[in-house]
Amino acid sequence: MELFLPVLFQASVLLYLVGAIISVLLRKREKINNLSANLFCMAASVLGAAASIAKILWHEGPLGIFEAHSTIPFLSLVMKVDNISAFFLLALFILVFCVSIYSIGYISHYIGRRNVGLFNFLYTTFILTMILVFTSTNAIFFYICWEAMSVFSYFLVVFESEKSENQRAGTLYIIMTHLASAFILVAFLIIYSYTQSFDLYGSSGALPEMSKNIIFLLFLIGFGTKAGLIPLHVWLPHAHPAAPSNVSALMSGIMIKTAIYGMLRFVHCYLGIEQAWWGLLILTLGMISVFLGVAYALMEGNIKRLLAFSSVENIGIILIGLGVCFIAFAHEQVLLGSFALTAALLHTFNHSLFKGGLFLGAGAIQYSTQTKDMEKLGGLSKRIPVTAFFVLCFSLAISAIIPFNGFIGEWLTFQALFANILPGQTGIDILLILAVAALGLAGGLVIACFVKFFGISFLGLPRSEQALQAKEVPLTMNISMGLLACLCLFFGLFPLTILTLVDKVILSIGGSTVLGELRGEFFLLFYPLEIAGNEILPAAILGLVLVMIILTLLLLRMFGGKYIERKYGTWDCGYEALTSRMQYSATGFSKPLQIVFKILFRPSRKLSAEGEALCSSEPIKYTTTFSSIFEDFLYSPAAKAVKSFSKKTAFRIQTGSIHNYLIYILVTVLLLILYNRFF
Amino acid sequence: MNNLIYIFLQALTILMLAPLVNGLIRKMKAFIQKRQGASIFQMYYDLYKLVRKGSVVSEVSSWIFKATPYIFFASALVAAMLVPVSTIILPKHIPGDFIVLVSVLGLGRFFMMLAALDTASTFGGMGSSREAMVSTLIEPTILVSLFTIGLISQSTSLSQIMLTVQGAGFPLAHPVYIMVFLALLIVIIAESARIPIDDPSTHLELTMIHEAMILEYSGRHLALMEYGAAIKQLVFMTLLVNVLVPHDQIIAFTGFLALFLSLLIYFFKILILTGIIALIEINTVKFRLFSIPNMAAFAFILSFLGILQYFILGGSNV
Repeated sequence: MELFLPVLFQASVLLYLVGAIISVLLRKREKINNLSANLFCMAASVLGAAASIAKILWHEGPLGIFEAHSTIPFLSLVMKVDNISAFFLLALFILVFCVSIYSIGYISHYIGRRNVGLFNFLYTTFILTMILVFTSTNAIFFYICWEAMSVFSYFLVVFESEKSENQRAGTLYIIMTHLASAFILVAFLIIYSYTQSFDLYGSSGALPEMSKNIIFLLFLIGFGTKAGLIPLHVWLPHAHPAAPSNVSALMSGIMIKTAIYGMLRFVHCYLGIEQAWWGLLILTLGMISVFLGVAYALMEGNIKRLLAFSSVENIGIILIGLGVCFIAFAHEQVLLGSFALTAALLHTFNHSLFKGGLFLGAGAIQYSTQTKDMEKLGGLSKRIPVTAFFVLCFSLAISAIIPFNGFIGEWLTFQALFANILPGQTGIDILLILAVAALGLAGGLVIACFVKFFGISFLGLPRSEQALQAKEVPLTMNISMGLLACLCLFFGLFPLTILTLVDKVILSIGGSTVLGELRGEFFLLFYPLEIAGNEILPAAILGLVLVMIILTLLLLRMFGGKYIERKYGTWDCGYEALTSRMQYSATGFSKPLQIVFKILFRPSRKLSAEGEALCSSEPIKYTTTFSSIFEDFLYSPAAKAVKSFSKKTAFRIQTGSIHNYLIYILVTVLLLILYNRFF
Repeated sequence: MNNLIYIFLQALTILMLAPLVNGLIRKMKAFIQKRQGASIFQMYYDLYKLVRKGSVVSEVSSWIFKATPYIFFASALVAAMLVPVSTIILPKHIPGDFIVLVSVLGLGRFFMMLAALDTASTFGGMGSSREAMVSTLIEPTILVSLFTIGLISQSTSLSQIMLTVQGAGFPLAHPVYIMVFLALLIVIIAESARIPIDDPSTHLELTMIHEAMILEYSGRHLALMEYGAAIKQLVFMTLLVNVLVPHDQIIAFTGFLALFLSLLIYFFKILILTGIIALIEINTVKFRLFSIPNMAAFAFILSFLGILQYFILGGSNV
């Protein structure tokens, strides 16, 4: 095993590399290129996923997979996989496998129209950089991979660059992500100034208390931006919809989770948690993200923006778990912390499955109708029934409805909160109860949001010609979504399979096991999930629902006789001219909640007629607009200030005269010499 | 095996009783209004009649419209299995706790809201959209209330909660329970679509929520939707009376006599709660749709006060 495992990981990485190179070499033959790149990704993912599972189950401690040292100081490539890396890699590989199957069909509509070779190169390299982020052990190298990941994803975001909105989204994304990287870099430099080492597996003992706090804040801002934590989320609802859907699935499914990995790796494992307020801060931000994320998602009419906002909400759920875990660890309540960490990690994994699936579904909608606008969709369940069914499964999963995997994550989060409130000693309990309320409110909003997403897009009458003419999607796309839907159901019914892995991960980073004694691994499937004395058996619930449906059918047959059905038009109050414009629209659906939470959305509406009076038969135009609090009150003023400052100072600093620039250099050098002399 | 028999009996009890509760509420309302009113068994007759009729299905709708009645009904029945009617013969394992209960009911609601959108009818969309609002606003209250009682009993399992509360004598004398009781009462009114949140007896487009969602259903499908809603209402009522006013501790017998007595007392409690709901329905008018958030906020504050009192007074002296 010791010899075999590293080889598996190496082979997987190598296959991705080969895939990337081949997609460049074969750029003229687009069909073969597309097939080969995706097949390489799939093969690499299978190897990688197998290696990750084997690593977690049978190998303890970090596993070195690659080592290369350069003559440049501090720059050495040492790749190691420990249990946390392996867990995130597992999520990555599973998702990449499914997305690659999907891409075979999805990218086919680029063939002949776009540079498929370039796309596949970027796609493969993007995955490779994420693997490097999860495995690098050197802070400088981590930073380089982190930046590369951002840059490659930026290229993918602006891949359809002829649309000006995509360019704007890309610019916003690259600015935000670079700001974030700057914070991370500063944190690394502070660490280096105390420990003289960039080793991530090293010890942080040399760091004084105060600088640890500062480093934590820097990491929080840096990783929080990547995760899409409110109020740092502004790039997310722009960038995710702009990217091609298979890339959005990867970005939302796994790239934003690199930030969760970063928090765990750097804050939990490296810094060590000593301050309870770290957890409190994360918890509070998580609660805000949960509520606002889904509230904004509900108002969206663009399917991919809706999904992007919903990712903000799910990151919030993960952060609630992480925050509670940090608080408990700071109070040295290892078991309680481990509950919360289990919930956070499980939800991370689950979210990558169903959110990946939802973005793939959105891509399928876009593929068959060429639109992302919900107001133009409708009736798709009759035109692409298979896709509709899978999207329904994902919608149920994300709404935390039993028996899908989303519910398990939510249940564990509630259990973690419950277990942490139980001791009843601290004032933090009030905050935890508010977290319960926030999760409850968000749970209701998520159901509303995904009833809207599915109901408006797939049910009812088509709202436009495009929706009416929707074409069937390629088989590979449906296969990939079907696979993800099966996984969602599997991990929902048999959560212990994945939880045994999570348990090992948590054990390896100083937590304690929360599963207790399992009665033999063979019964993993039929054993109730038990946390702190509370147990559930999701498979039994599904079984009971099915039995009840069958019993109902039988009894109805007995008492009611044969079922007679008559097809007739929808009731129209005798008007007899029901059109698709008379059904509820996406905006209409969320209107009541928009009015209830109007303080958040600050909607404004405008009614205008083209003719003289509103009561004439002239077309009437009705527009509603929402404004985002954060963009209006935080980012716009900041951007304006920077702009006006730059305008005023640009010609004073950058005068264009070389003499001035020489003075700048001289002054800088002098200051540095002075600094080094006296401090 | 015992588990299975128990939960099926449990579901059967609620299944048989649910239409009666609706009949009782109607009868009591009629009585207070000095009307004769329909028989308390009217809903059974209605259901029987509907079951034997064929269904009209909209041409626009997809399989979701036809599957929803079965899913909704089955989810209500499974929810009924999770809330013990009596704790006399409680088995060791019930496959879920109150978080599962909320999720299972969510399954039914999710499909009901989808089915309402499926027929492309304006009424359906309206009902669905309003239901989304009401259920969202009421959800934090359900969770925080149940969390409060759960914390006192140190368990999220409903049967465990009931057993613990039984050891506490008469819980309604304790402020925590009073708050939770009032909060859950509002939840029942909202979840079972009653005045002042919704009016079950009209089809007026300005007011209806639940009725608008099931407007397109007929015959057998309608029967299942109505029956499912009745079961859901009784599940919430059972939750309220059995958790906050436990009764099994006063039964001194054992065996079947105890079970019989326990069910009898349970029925009596439901009867009283039915009276309370009928009184509320008689004495209030339906709220404007956008007054519902105020009521939901009121319910949430009650439940939050409940948990604050738990923190202040502690759960042990209950």
